[in-house]
Amino acid sequence: MKKILLSTVLAFAMVTTASAETLKIGLATAQSGGLAPYDVPVVTGLKIAVEELNAAGGIMGKINIELIEKDMRSDVAQTIIAVQELVDAEVSVIVLPCDADPSLAVTGIVDEAKIPAISTCASSPTLPLIGGDFVFANFPGDNVQATVSASWAYEQGYKSAFILYSPDTQYTTLPLYFADVIKALGGSVVGTETYSLGQPDFSSIATKIAAISPQPDIVMTSAYEPDFPSFLKALRAAGVTSQVIGSDGIDSPTTFSLGKVGENVVFTTAGHATKGSELEKFNALFKQKTGKDSDTVFNAVGYDLIKVIEAAVISAGGSTDSQAIRDAIAELENVQGATSLITYKGTTGMPVRQVSIIRVKDGERELVGQPAPVADLIPAPRMQ
Amino acid sequence: MTSLIELKSVSVSYDAVNAVRGIDLSIKDGEIVALLGANGAGKSSTLNAIVGLAPVSAGKIIFDGTDITDFSSETLAPLGLTLSPEGRRVFATLSVEDNLMLGAYSVKDKAQIKAAYERVYELFPILFERKQQYGGTLSGGQQQMLALGRALMCSPRLLLLDEPSLGLAPIIVEQIFELIALLRQQGVTIILVEQNVSMALNIADRGYVMASGKIVAHGDAASLSDSTTLENAYLGAE
Amino acid sequence: MDLFLQQSANAVALGGIYALLALGLAVVFSIMGLINFAHGELMTISGYVLMYCGIAAVPFPLAVILAIGAAILAAIAMERIAFRPVRGSSGATLLVTSFAIAMILQMLFQNLISARSQPVLLPAILSESVTIFGLIIGVNKIAAIISTIVMLIFLDWFMTKQKTGIAMRAAAEDFSIARLMGIHANTVIAGAFALSGLLAGVAAVLWVSQRASVDPLMGFTPVLKAFIAAILGGLGSLKGAVAGGFLLAFIEVYLSAFLPHGMQEFREPIGLAIVVLVLLFRPNGLLPAKTLAAEKV
Repeated sequence: MKKILLSTVLAFAMVTTASAETLKIGLATAQSGGLAPYDVPVVTGLKIAVEELNAAGGIMGKINIELIEKDMRSDVAQTIIAVQELVDAEVSVIVLPCDADPSLAVTGIVDEAKIPAISTCASSPTLPLIGGDFVFANFPGDNVQATVSASWAYEQGYKSAFILYSPDTQYTTLPLYFADVIKALGGSVVGTETYSLGQPDFSSIATKIAAISPQPDIVMTSAYEPDFPSFLKALRAAGVTSQVIGSDGIDSPTTFSLGKVGENVVFTTAGHATKGSELEKFNALFKQKTGKDSDTVFNAVGYDLIKVIEAAVISAGGSTDSQAIRDAIAELENVQGATSLITYKGTTGMPVRQVSIIRVKDGERELVGQPAPVADLIPAPRMQ
Repeated sequence: MTSLIELKSVSVSYDAVNAVRGIDLSIKDGEIVALLGANGAGKSSTLNAIVGLAPVSAGKIIFDGTDITDFSSETLAPLGLTLSPEGRRVFATLSVEDNLMLGAYSVKDKAQIKAAYERVYELFPILFERKQQYGGTLSGGQQQMLALGRALMCSPRLLLLDEPSLGLAPIIVEQIFELIALLRQQGVTIILVEQNVSMALNIADRGYVMASGKIVAHGDAASLSDSTTLENAYLGAE
Repeated sequence: MDLFLQQSANAVALGGIYALLALGLAVVFSIMGLINFAHGELMTISGYVLMYCGIAAVPFPLAVILAIGAAILAAIAMERIAFRPVRGSSGATLLVTSFAIAMILQMLFQNLISARSQPVLLPAILSESVTIFGLIIGVNKIAAIISTIVMLIFLDWFMTKQKTGIAMRAAAEDFSIARLMGIHANTVIAGAFALSGLLAGVAAVLWVSQRASVDPLMGFTPVLKAFIAAILGGLGSLKGAVAGGFLLAFIEVYLSAFLPHGMQEFREPIGLAIVVLVLLFRPNGLLPAKTLAAEKV
């Protein structure tokens, strides 16, 4: 494992010797453990972007990117060690894991070192809010996603909602934002249940939902694998036919291979490859580089992250100074990523990005829409 | 006549404790030999060493011409060597029948197994009556019979008996000794570790007396009964 | 009342799976004194076999047989490669070995297959449900209940009627004496691992049929539940494992079903508190092994 890492670093290092300037990006992401399913695909996409840029001579044709990788093993303490090592290695930008919790643990370090840190795919709006000036996210916020899906549901005439959330992580509390929005729109929340991550059985919760009369129009959850399929199957087996709404965590091949049970599930995510879109181009590039189809939007999100850094370096006039890059990121507007246009200007670090609503139809993804949320409806970030 | 089993300067050590210190033993086919001595003299360790349950740190054990010093326990029953352990150690959660069945585990010949059952049930009719009962529900005497029966199931040539009368009522003890006499008639060679010295010597051909892991005396049963060596061995004097 | 019965049916189905899991741990523990935390990875292996069979369009019944077979082979290999060299070591050594195996396997799954969850294609029938006596029961729940019953009957038959099974019970009770009877330690221990592999394989099929996906860390939760159930029932006792599995499932399902809404967040700690309470009154578990103190090899 170490050897592979080393050779990767060396490979990048060799390319960089040709150019005068180097931008060091430190990755403190999960290559193993529970977060690896999210960080690994993001890093794969990120490396494709780096390779593409370096092959073209680097940022602005002269600044090569050097990646320094640390595995935080999905562990908070390891994240702190990894980030400290990256600070010592004098990187210009740090990439943090997908989850808000380990990322929050290092906000003090990056703030003091004045190095901008971007989470691979954390969607909790509390992360950049609490994290301070140097912490950024790279995904549509939970509150924004919830606003988009709740508004869509209300427009469809779905007014009563049942929500299932887990207090175990920031992300799995997304349905609470959904509840706020649907209530603000005039709908109602007829029931709330909690679950624990990795809970073996959802039939008792499904039975309780089945007993609600009248049945809710919507069942909303941000549960992801393995909980989501398990919950969905239990729900349908219990005879509940309500519209199920999820969020980006279920943008995964499993959701599309559930057969009849998965049909008509709707969820929000970071992008959709419509014809001629940037995402379609990225997917082609991904296939060309890896020989495999990109099976998750998280690949493209990793590509986005490098595009953001590239844009920031350009707007900082080619500076590799970490403070200059941070200031530039905070002012970025409409950066073209693989998934969407990305704007940081005017936010607290949670980017404004397009949210796509996807429906599972015949086991395939169908784009329902990419509506812009009404700003007034977006609930304020809060810690759960 | 050659020895059925021979121990040549065998020592047994558990970590730092030397339980047996270089003893020599030789037992001929068809003999009953008593192994006597106070608690902690090394008698049980000697028996356990023979069947591979205690670590032999030095010396050799020859059974019927084969060096079995490093043989593992499970390979000895097929050779015709087994132990009826101290404290009986019947399988409490298994039926009497299953206990006996396992006694014949190493026997492949079905007819031989059937004959073994018949022999054991004939020796201990009570076991036949209770064959469905769990080993743990038997009385102490019945458990001892089961332990003996289980040991006999592999039709051993050499049977090691470790304290077969321990904790049993006198009338049961007598029954057990009658049985040992019967086994001798059937040609089973026996090493008997016993606390009941007089009964042991009464039935044995010869005896060895152990103290502090060494053999301090040996001879035929009658002469040992008369000598003071035994008393000394039990009282700890040399 | 209906709701109570419905939730009880849910608990029975979950309890069956927990029972199979706990039995898998108990079979090995009773003989080796080892809690094999890599038991969950045997399940993951089964899960991946199901996944690959799905991709290769292997008929589901055959895929199930292959998945269970893979778990059995993996269990035997695990014993032969990893546990035999440390046999007879202290409990701590064995425990750490099992953790190491679990982590190595997780790493291999992550690096050789994928860090991400892989979908497992399942027959649609498993997602259906049927109504029995007014209770709605998922087909996969019925499959779980039936599989549990079949496995329990098989295990009972094997352990009480088969020579090898009886020898395993004897070895669990008193390993040294069992060896004295000519029962080979290797046979019994390999047999125990094969059985635990069988139980892991069956449990894995049921587990995966609920979640429809497999990931490198899939084995963690089930082995944790199995551990709690086995402790609750009495470590090393097979009947205890079954009792512990069902009790744990009933505790979890009833708490989830009937705990007041405001307390739902504390469901898990309350559930574990009940487990601790049971253990306070029965420190050796519900149906403790009679021979916990016996020497283990």
